[in-house]
Amino acid sequence: MASNAAVPFWRAAGMTYITYSNICANLVRNCLKEPYKTEALAREKVHFSISKWTDGKPEKPTLRSDSPVE
Amino acid sequence: MAMAALRREGRRFAPLISPRPITAFRSSPLAPTREAEGPIGVRYISTQVVRNRMKSVKNIQKITKAMKMVAASKLRAIQTKAENSRGLWQPFTALLGDTPSVDVKKNVIVTVSSDKGLCGGINSTSVKISKALHKLNSGPENETKYVILGEKAKAQLVRDSKKDIELIITELQKNPLSYTQVSVLADDILKNVEFDALRIVFNKFHSVVSFLPTVSTVLSPEIVEREAEAGGKLGDLDSYEIEGGETKGEILQNLTEFQFSCVMFNSVLENACSEQGARMSAMDSSSRNAGDMLDRLTLTYNRTRQASITTELIEIISGASALEG
Repeated sequence: MASNAAVPFWRAAGMTYITYSNICANLVRNCLKEPYKTEALAREKVHFSISKWTDGKPEKPTLRSDSPVE
Repeated sequence: MAMAALRREGRRFAPLISPRPITAFRSSPLAPTREAEGPIGVRYISTQVVRNRMKSVKNIQKITKAMKMVAASKLRAIQTKAENSRGLWQPFTALLGDTPSVDVKKNVIVTVSSDKGLCGGINSTSVKISKALHKLNSGPENETKYVILGEKAKAQLVRDSKKDIELIITELQKNPLSYTQVSVLADDILKNVEFDALRIVFNKFHSVVSFLPTVSTVLSPEIVEREAEAGGKLGDLDSYEIEGGETKGEILQNLTEFQFSCVMFNSVLENACSEQGARMSAMDSSSRNAGDMLDRLTLTYNRTRQASITTELIEIISGASALEG
């Protein structure tokens, strides 16, 4: 099942469709006028802590956060 | 006659007796503020002890009532979001179907749970279902891995399934849940985990008192191809026309990624709703139990108080009659 059409540029760059749509959504949000713009951007903050486990041992968790670490 | 009354009081106190040796000493005529002992055969629990317990039980009742209100308000806020998010994955199920019975080599079970406790049994049911799925899907060439969201499932699964854990994600609810957050999360999972089928275990919110554990299955594009050849719902995929310059494989890949993100969004929201609902009912039953406990303690307190008053009166009267007689 090889794709003979050209792969879209974002997939060739290593992004998934989700990353691509998030970037596009951010672009649309940036097009808003104030004050809606700051409200929308404040709504979409991301924060979680992810830790990968190998062989039953956890590695150091990485914090993915847009909000500043206090 | 007075002694008979006292003996009756003593017998009523038998279940509450704290074990202390009976002495022949009579208690002071003051109201008993410590372990009081009346005439031989009678032992009272001190009113001070009972009063302390009543105070702490009342505080607990206030706290649990407040927690219930907080959970109710949070539930209202998040319930509309969850119901609106259902529209995101329904078209996917209509197009690609939800086949929990698919047999694949690499299963990944995504368990959604809460970070905070005091929410009843929902996290335990999620973990139970995840473990059952793990057992169901482990065959000779199959492997099953866990991706855990939330502290509560982590605590339970780390105990016995350590080597099957792939990723653990916590602190998800620091900001109010939004699609951006969940999609970044889904993206991380997709990048870090190899899978043929993803099974997301969460508690679906049906109503404030009913949360049912559910499993949603998302297949990887290769498996969708395989199942499409086998016929069934996925076999109708070929009847769709594809616009643009993309191939079917390309579209399937985009679709499955987006499907995973949507399904994750819905499941995280529904689980959050169920968590608040379960916390509401848990705190409600806890404040009701505290109320019952308070009633029983009040009865005990009153009995103790009345018994000590009776003792005092008897002493005074017998003293007075001794003087006369």
